[in-house]
Amino acid sequence: MSVTGKVISFSQDLRERNVKVMLLAMIIAVATVATINAFADHLQRTLMTSASAFLTADRQLNSRTNAPIPEAWYAEAENFGLEIGRMIEFGTMVSNESQFQLVAVKAIDNTYPLRGELEWQADLEAARQIITSGPKPGEVWLNPRLMRLLELRPGDALEVGATSLEVTGVIMREPDGGFRLSNLAPRVMMHIDDVASTGVIQEGSRVRHRGLFAGGSTNLADFETWLEPQLTDNYRWVDVRQGETLGESLDKAEGFLLLGGSLAVLLAVVAIAVASRQYALSQRDRVALLKTMGLTGKRIRKLYLSRLVIWGLISTVIGLLLAIPAAWLMASMTAQLMEQPLQFELDFWQLWPAILTALVALFAFAYPPIDRLRNTPAMRVFRSLPTNDKGALAKDLLLAVAVILGLLWIYVSDLKLVIALLGAIITLVVTLAIVGAGLIWLLRKFTAGQGSWRLAVIALYRHRNATLSQMSVFAMTIMLAATLVLVRSSLLADWQAQLPEDAPNHFLLNIAPESVNEVEAFFTEHDLNRSPLYPIIRGRLTEINAQPAQEVALNKDDDELRRELNLTISDSYPDDNEIVAGQWFKAGDTKGLSIEQSLAESLGVKVGDELGFTVGAEKVTAKITSIRSVQWDSMRPNFFIIFPPNGAIDGLPSTSLTSFYLAEQDKALLNDFVRQFPTISVLEIDHIIERIQQIIRQVTQAVEAILLMILLAAIAVMVAVVSATMSERQREGALLRTLGGQQQLLVRATMIEFALIGFLAGILGVFAAEIAVWALQSRMFDGEFRWHWPVVVNLPFISAFILALLGRWQLTPVLTVSPMLLLRRLE
Amino acid sequence: MSTDRQPDLSNDFMIQVQNLSHSVDLGTDKLSILQHVNLDIRKGESAAIVGRSGSGKTTLLGLLAGLDLPSSGTVKLDGHIISALSEDERASLRSQRVGFVFQSFQLLPTLSAIENVMLPIELAGLSNAKTQAENLLERVGLGERMQHTPRQLSGGEQQRVAIARAFAVEPKVLFADEPTGNLDTRTGEAITDLLMALNREQGTTLVMVTHDQQLADRCQRHFVIDAGVLHEHHAADAEVISA
Repeated sequence: MSVTGKVISFSQDLRERNVKVMLLAMIIAVATVATINAFADHLQRTLMTSASAFLTADRQLNSRTNAPIPEAWYAEAENFGLEIGRMIEFGTMVSNESQFQLVAVKAIDNTYPLRGELEWQADLEAARQIITSGPKPGEVWLNPRLMRLLELRPGDALEVGATSLEVTGVIMREPDGGFRLSNLAPRVMMHIDDVASTGVIQEGSRVRHRGLFAGGSTNLADFETWLEPQLTDNYRWVDVRQGETLGESLDKAEGFLLLGGSLAVLLAVVAIAVASRQYALSQRDRVALLKTMGLTGKRIRKLYLSRLVIWGLISTVIGLLLAIPAAWLMASMTAQLMEQPLQFELDFWQLWPAILTALVALFAFAYPPIDRLRNTPAMRVFRSLPTNDKGALAKDLLLAVAVILGLLWIYVSDLKLVIALLGAIITLVVTLAIVGAGLIWLLRKFTAGQGSWRLAVIALYRHRNATLSQMSVFAMTIMLAATLVLVRSSLLADWQAQLPEDAPNHFLLNIAPESVNEVEAFFTEHDLNRSPLYPIIRGRLTEINAQPAQEVALNKDDDELRRELNLTISDSYPDDNEIVAGQWFKAGDTKGLSIEQSLAESLGVKVGDELGFTVGAEKVTAKITSIRSVQWDSMRPNFFIIFPPNGAIDGLPSTSLTSFYLAEQDKALLNDFVRQFPTISVLEIDHIIERIQQIIRQVTQAVEAILLMILLAAIAVMVAVVSATMSERQREGALLRTLGGQQQLLVRATMIEFALIGFLAGILGVFAAEIAVWALQSRMFDGEFRWHWPVVVNLPFISAFILALLGRWQLTPVLTVSPMLLLRRLE
Repeated sequence: MSTDRQPDLSNDFMIQVQNLSHSVDLGTDKLSILQHVNLDIRKGESAAIVGRSGSGKTTLLGLLAGLDLPSSGTVKLDGHIISALSEDERASLRSQRVGFVFQSFQLLPTLSAIENVMLPIELAGLSNAKTQAENLLERVGLGERMQHTPRQLSGGEQQRVAIARAFAVEPKVLFADEPTGNLDTRTGEAITDLLMALNREQGTTLVMVTHDQQLADRCQRHFVIDAGVLHEHHAADAEVISA
């Protein structure tokens, strides 16, 4: 190697503390981004697969009319490498000898279910089994209620239209059972090959075709791209996100992970920028000397640029090498929680954001101060000159903000959120600087007292510019870390509050007025709590402003126009609903109705419009007085239409609905219940709740792991910032020792100084975090804000403690090496 | 014959300074460091610039070497007007013609003695860097310590390395900033001998800044700088001063 190359060579670089910090920060940045990406991707796929069970596939294509799904589409899906399945749903009468019953038939093919599993019993008294296929041709499975209503046993025949099928089992639970209170007819499941022979599907009968698709995400996306242009209004392409049950939870989880990842990057680039600036400062004398030897600016730039490229390559490779096992480890941790763990796969495309981060960190944050080295005045060889790089700093900052904006945009793809985040951070830094300056000024008044305390406070004030910038960076770091911790806790608390352990997980529908007392007695006998009874009146929405609804509705094919809706009467609306237009009924109001937002939009109606319903033979009308948003994933009873007490539908024939919690071990009670009340439908949603809780657990684990990485990045920032003033502090320490300062005094003063910085930064950071949490809660996660007192109180002390340790650490050379040697080394 | 042109005497000069003034901006105020300096140094001459701390002598040295540009006036280095050159042009001018010796040696701590000497040879793109560096280190009496790093050398040894480095590219002009300032008297004398000897051997122009009168006396020319004003010190003046 030439001597010029050796002037700054990699082995030499490694002896430079700033280079070490920079490399470490780069490695952390790359490893964090790569881990988060690889793991978030894995988690995504896991969650999607887990959630896919609700669709029994990765995607569903639903017909909104009777038209079947074109065979050519299935063929194309297979060409795209997807698994396909066909499903037909229709309502019909079935009979057994002289007993008839209206049922909801689901006809499935051999592939059903592509995702998820079924729960099935050989007969009413047999044990539950988990199976992964449906009935074969010629067979039919019934739900327990229907078995009892029709007094059927396995082996009996069930007449479905023109054909007769053999009852071979009881369907206890379908993965895509969903949470629809409207689906009240008992379920019959049969094979799709038998549908033609039933002859029940005629022109004009209400039939819904569903195409099921499963496969790799790229294949799905490719197929989706192909399919999209051909989709008419008659078909709806559904992925898990559009499923009402899980979409929101998944979105929140993903939002959090991305936010966490972005913040980690933010922290790491701060560390890189700080370390790079320090490195550049330490190189100025060398550059000045090289300039006296005639090295041109161009060659200086080349010299340092080549170092940067080498550092970038090495730290990227190390970062990626660390990330892969880390992501794998996290993936196997979540796998333990999963019923069906997903194989961890690593895709190069998951790593490119990490590589991009490395490049950006290198060229937008590490390069500018190093590049400015070539402007070092050669006169520096004679004496150190003040460098006037204020303009350059502003330029760096501008570049940094622009680049962070771009990076975050790439990660989060939500410009508004990114700008809000950046705006918040900039406001924070400015505020921190001002408040911090005030605090330091105040602190100056407290220089009385013990030697080490005095020394510490004087040092703080003497280095006030450094103190201030350190404090701002620490406060920002603490804010970012604390924000994540707090958002995580409230996000989880929010979910848990939404779905507490004893959340009602069973619904009872169709409770006839005469059974209410008996049901009540059953609950008392078995010590079960139930929610209040909601009256349910089944009615069809037939008119909008005295015009036939099917003709004037905005979306004439809306399913809700084609079936009976559950209308209810209540003087209050569920907690998770929000009135988005109009006003809720006042006490004593008997007029009007409240409609759900999406239905109102689909119908094209607003407050003041009149809706007409047909309930049995009766017709009722009422004006819309309010429009509500409804959280369909709340797993609580929710209704499209609510009337006030004594309103338009009062006195019409009704049944009741209630919900209750039944623990897994008490499931046997259900059999008793169903036997005693054969006409009451039991809707079991415990598996849905269990699955959502499982997803929450997985996300929690992911969030914890990502938090850990973010804390590591935060510590890297702190180390970088502490290192920034290290040599100056070491020189001072050596001088103090030379002048007879005792080690104890030095240690105590330094630790107090850093603890003070940490404490003040902790206070500023934690309050800033509370503001950020408040903003995020109200804008992004729809949660409610609470103060987090334990964090507010403890964090400043924790940060003081960590900083004190860091201060002690950077002092080590001063204590272990003779002052003379140290002074000479630091010259 | 009257049309005969006068010979261009400027070719004989290594350094020509005309009416040089230099000041630095202190925000609202301007601090004048050098005022109306005029100075000519012929090729091969040795010149000492003597002055108290803060008199502006180091600033003048930097300006003569093209490390900085004066506020006004011109500096010609080997016939090139420095203020007409870009920074990179000045750098390459230095790489071919200029050597430095500093008070604080300015060796790169991470390089060995021989590597420090090889560095300017390589930067100037010359061949045989190693042989030449070895010869020079032998010449300054450090043949046995070529692989030592600056930290393993005494002050005097470090300055020998620095001198070897300064002469490595056979510069036409050598600028020395208090070369004995950090050394004891005996070591300082030895270093001065070495500097003068090499200067003679290579026919280098030597410009030295010092506050050491004895060192200054060993140079052919002797300038005094006081509060930014430079004047040449002649033997007669010395008598006046000493009288």
